[in-house]
Amino acid sequence: MNVTTPIEQRDFKIVGKSVKREDVVEKVTGEAQYTGDIKLPGMLHGKIKRAAIAHARIKSIDVSKALAYPGVKAVLTHENVPRVLHYGSPHPRSASCTKDQYILDDKVRFWGEGVAAVAAISEEIADEALDLIEVEYEALPAVFEPEDAVLPDAPLIHDVGPGGNLVLDPVRVNRGDIEAGFAEADFVLEGTFSGGRPHPAYMEPNVCIADWDGTNKLTFWTSTQTSFMVRGILAEVLGLPLTKVRVLVDHMGGGFGAKQDCFQHEFLCALLAKETRRPVKMEFTRHETFIAGRARHPCRIWLKQGFKNDGTLVARDMKLVYDSGAYGSHGPGVTIVGTSAATSLYRCENVRLEGRCVYTNTPINGAFRGYGVVQSYYALDIQMDEAAERLGMDPAELKLKNVVRAGDIAPSGHPILGHGLEICLQHGLDVLDWKSLRNRDRTPDPKRPHMRKGWGIGCEMHGSSAYPGIKEQGNATVKMNEDGTVTLLTGAAGLGTGAHTALAQIVAEELGVRFEDVGVIHGDTDVVPWDIGAFASHTTYLVGTAAKMAAGKVRTAVLERAAMKLQVAVEEIDLSEGRIFVIAEPGRFMTVAEAMGPSRGIPAANIVGNGTYQPTKSYSFAVHFTEVDVDTETGLVEVKRVVPVHDVGRVIHPIAAQGQIEGGIQQGIGHTLTEDYVIDKKTGRSLNAGLVDYKMPLSMDMPDIETIILEAAPDPGGPWGAKGVGEDPIIAIGPSIANAIHDAIGVRFHHYPITPEDILKALREKGA
Amino acid sequence: MRRFDYHRAETLEHASRLLTELGDDTFLFNGGTDLLVEIRERLRRVRNVIDIKGIPGLSDITYDETRGLTFGALVTVGRLERLALVRQRYPNLREALASLGSIQVRNRATVVGNVCRASPSADTIPPLIADGAFIHIYSPTNMRVVPLSEFFTGPGRTVLAKGEIVTGITVPPAGDNTGKAYLKHGRRKAMELSTVGVAVSLSMDDGVCSDIRIALGAVGATVLRAPQAEAMLRGTTLDAATVKNAADKAMEECTPISNVRASADYRRDMVGVLTGRAIRQALETFA
Repeated sequence: MNVTTPIEQRDFKIVGKSVKREDVVEKVTGEAQYTGDIKLPGMLHGKIKRAAIAHARIKSIDVSKALAYPGVKAVLTHENVPRVLHYGSPHPRSASCTKDQYILDDKVRFWGEGVAAVAAISEEIADEALDLIEVEYEALPAVFEPEDAVLPDAPLIHDVGPGGNLVLDPVRVNRGDIEAGFAEADFVLEGTFSGGRPHPAYMEPNVCIADWDGTNKLTFWTSTQTSFMVRGILAEVLGLPLTKVRVLVDHMGGGFGAKQDCFQHEFLCALLAKETRRPVKMEFTRHETFIAGRARHPCRIWLKQGFKNDGTLVARDMKLVYDSGAYGSHGPGVTIVGTSAATSLYRCENVRLEGRCVYTNTPINGAFRGYGVVQSYYALDIQMDEAAERLGMDPAELKLKNVVRAGDIAPSGHPILGHGLEICLQHGLDVLDWKSLRNRDRTPDPKRPHMRKGWGIGCEMHGSSAYPGIKEQGNATVKMNEDGTVTLLTGAAGLGTGAHTALAQIVAEELGVRFEDVGVIHGDTDVVPWDIGAFASHTTYLVGTAAKMAAGKVRTAVLERAAMKLQVAVEEIDLSEGRIFVIAEPGRFMTVAEAMGPSRGIPAANIVGNGTYQPTKSYSFAVHFTEVDVDTETGLVEVKRVVPVHDVGRVIHPIAAQGQIEGGIQQGIGHTLTEDYVIDKKTGRSLNAGLVDYKMPLSMDMPDIETIILEAAPDPGGPWGAKGVGEDPIIAIGPSIANAIHDAIGVRFHHYPITPEDILKALREKGA
Repeated sequence: MRRFDYHRAETLEHASRLLTELGDDTFLFNGGTDLLVEIRERLRRVRNVIDIKGIPGLSDITYDETRGLTFGALVTVGRLERLALVRQRYPNLREALASLGSIQVRNRATVVGNVCRASPSADTIPPLIADGAFIHIYSPTNMRVVPLSEFFTGPGRTVLAKGEIVTGITVPPAGDNTGKAYLKHGRRKAMELSTVGVAVSLSMDDGVCSDIRIALGAVGATVLRAPQAEAMLRGTTLDAATVKNAADKAMEECTPISNVRASADYRRDMVGVLTGRAIRQALETFA
C-alpha cells in the first residue's frame, strides 16, 4: 500500500500512523468477549419456530405439547405477545424506515418467518420443542419477484403503506430538462440491469441475551451496530422508559450494515426472559442468519442516457426497482439513497430518476454496505463503458471526461469538495500505464488458448454519513484522569472495523498525549453518550470530529490549570506527548499528571469535555482497476489483480483503511461472481441458506491487491479532513469486473452475479 | 445440535454387533466431519453413533509393488495426502485428497469415511475408481472384497449390509507407464464441493493407450465410469481428435441433475471439457 498526500502536511504524532489496535491482543488470544460468550446463572435458551410457507394466515397454533415437554419454560405466539406495530429500524428523525412489523403476527409473509418462540433449559430441548408446536396455516397466494408484486391482481402482503405492494411512494428526482437533453443527444443508450441477493454473511451470527432485574429493568446484550436504536425501539414496544432498558454490546464479529435493524428475535428474547423471570439467550444458526438476517436488495434497473459524439452526457433517465422482501426494513432509505446517487458520479445536467421499493414474499432485505448505490452505480458505470465502446473511445478517457468535479452538486444537494474522483482515475491510469495495457498484445497464450485476459475500470463515490436522509449527530465525552491518562466514552459500535482505535488516535493527537494513554469505553447505553449507530461510513468522520471537539475542550482546561500551576499565561504553554511546557523555555515543563494532581491545597482536577457534532456529508471517491482471466471453456472468471485507488481525505490509520478496502474488494468479488442467496421462485424456500452453497470467495480466491490511498480531497467536516472508507470499495469493484470481462471476451453483462453458465451461454450466442 | 447416544466399539465384532442391535438411525462415527454437521443441520436423523476410532489395526498404510497401496478405515485424508508415495504414484488421488475441505477437516476426516458417505460429489471416489481400487468389508461371518466401482448403489447408498463395516481400501500398484489426473471443478479454489470431478487413469504402451479408466463425479446418482468413451480411446495414440470425440461421448454417458450449484447442461458441458483436459494432463507424465 502507499499513501500519497498532496494535502497540507502537519507534524502528526499519532494520526496517519498504523498504531497497534487497542483490541488486537484480546482478539488474537480469544479473550475478547462477544455476546455469545456470555453465560449468566440460570440462563435459558430461546429458539424460534419458523414457518415453512411463504404467505399464509395462521388458523391455529397449538403449543400444549411443547409447553409440556420437560425443560421447556415458556412458549410465545402471536396470541400472547404485545401487538404493537413498529419500525424494523428506528432511525430517529428520518424517513428511511417503514412501520410494518409486529413482534409476532397471525400472518406469515415469508418462508422462514418466526411464528413462535420457546425458552428451555438447553438449546437442544428448545430446538426439540419447536417440532411439537403445531401450526395450521391457510395458504395465501404469494409473489416472489418484484415484477409480479406490482401487477394489479397481485396478492397484497401488507395492509399498511401506499398499497400495491409498494413500501413507499415512488422516489422521484428531477434535474434540468430531460426532454431537451435527449433532443441534444447524438446517440442514446438504453439497457436493463439487475442485481442478485448477496448476503453479508458476517462471522458472528446474530445473538442476544435478555435479563430483567427486580426493578423491572431490562439489561440486553446484543450484537448490534445501533445500540441506542435498539434501546429506543425495545422501550417503545415494551412500554418502558429509556431508564429501564440498558443495551450492552462489547465486541462484534461484523455487521456490514445488516445489524442495524431491531430484529424479531430481540423482542422475543426480551419477552421470554420477562415471562420466565430468568435470563434468556438467543443465538442464530448460520442458516438463520440467512433466512432471518438481512441481505442486499435485489434490483431491476432501466437506464437510458443520451450522449453527444464528443462524449458529453446530456440526459439520464433511470428507473430503479428494489426488492424489499417481506418487510420494509431499510427499503425506503436504500431506495432514496440508491436513486439519488444516480444524479451524480458522471456529470449530467438533465436527469430524471424514479426509484421504487416493492414487497415480495421473500426474506427481508435491509441495510448492507453500499446501501442501494452498489446497484445504481453498477448500471451507470457499465453503461459508461458501453458509451465509450460506441464512440470508439478508451473507457478511461470517457470516464475522465465525465467524472464529477469540485463544485458539482452531490446527491446530498451540496457542492462536491475537491476533484477526488478525477485525481484517483488519473493516478491509476498513470501508475498502470493504462494506454499500454489497452494496446497490449491480445494473442492468446498457445499453451492455454482458451484463456482470455481483460482489464476494466469501475468508478464510485460514496457519502460519509446518511445526511440528508438522517440529520446525524455524533457525540463523545473525554475525561482526563489525574494520572494523565484519558478515557473516551463513545456510543459508536466496534463492529470490527477498528473504529475505536481511530477514535483513540484522534483524541490522543488532539490532546497531546500518547495513544497508549487513551482508554475507550463503549457499548453501554447507560454510560456512554447517545449515539446514532455505526453505519453510513461515518464513524471516523462523525464521531471522530465529536471526539476531537471533546478532546480540544479538555486540552484547553488542562492547559488553563497547568498555566495556573506554572504561573504563566495559558498562551505561553503547549501540550505535547503528555508534557506541558513553556513554549519559550522548553526545559520548563510539567507532566499532565502533575498538572492534574492535587498540590498545595488544590484538589485533583475533574476535567470532562463533551463534543457534539452535526455534520452534513462528505464524499469519498474510488476507482478500481481490475484484471480478470476468463476461461472460455468453463466460463470461470478469475480476478487476478486489483489496483484500488481511493481518496478518503486524511487517513487516520493506514492499515485499517487498507483492510476496509481489501475486505470490500473480497466481498464485492463475491457479489459480482459467486454470491447469490437464492430463493425458490415457486415456493419461496431458501435454496442455499448456508455457507456450503452460498459461495463467498476465500483467501485462495483473492487477487493481488495493490492499494493506493490518496489524501486528495480532504473534507473540513471530518477530523483533519478525514472521510469515510467502509462502503466505497464494494461499490467500485463490481463494475470494474464486469467491464474487465467485456474487455476479455467482448460480451457485456448487465447483471450480477455473472456465473460461469452465463459466460458460456453468452459466448455461444456471440459465436452463433 | 440434536441429542444422540455415543458408543465406543473395542473391536470390529463389537462395532458390528452394536450396529445390528441398536437398530435404525445408528451410524459409525469416525472422523465425524460429515456426520456431526448432518446432525447439527438436521439433515440426518441419528439416535446412536458408534465410535470406531479405538479399534486396533485399522490405521495401517502399506504399499508393495504387487498388491499396491492399502490403507485402513482410520487413515485420515491429511495423513494420506502428505505421504510422498501417494504424491509420486497416485497424483490423481493426491489431488483429490488435497482439495477436500480444509486442512482442519482433512486432519480429522478419513478417506474411508468420505467413500462410505457415498456422495456422488465426493472427491476421493473418482480417482480411486479410475485406479481400480477395492474395498475390504468385514462382517462377523464373512470378509469380502468388492471393486469400488460396484460398491455404490445410489446417493448415500452402498452394498453394505446391516452389520458390515469397511476396514480399508486397496489401490492397485501404479506402473511406470501410467498417467493419472483428477480435475475438480467448482466456483472457488478451496473449501469447495465439486460441481463436477473427473479422474483419469491411463496406461501407455509404445505410444498407444493400452488401458484407460475415466471416472465422473457429481454427474450421476453415483460416481460413474464412462465405458464407451474409454473404449473409443483404448488402442489409440490419444490424438486430439480421438480425445475430443471420447470427451463428447463421456458427456452422453453422464446423467447429471440441476441444482443450486449448477444446471445439468452445464455439468454435462464440463464433463466434456474436463475429460479432455484430464486426459491431456495424464499424458503429460510421458512428455
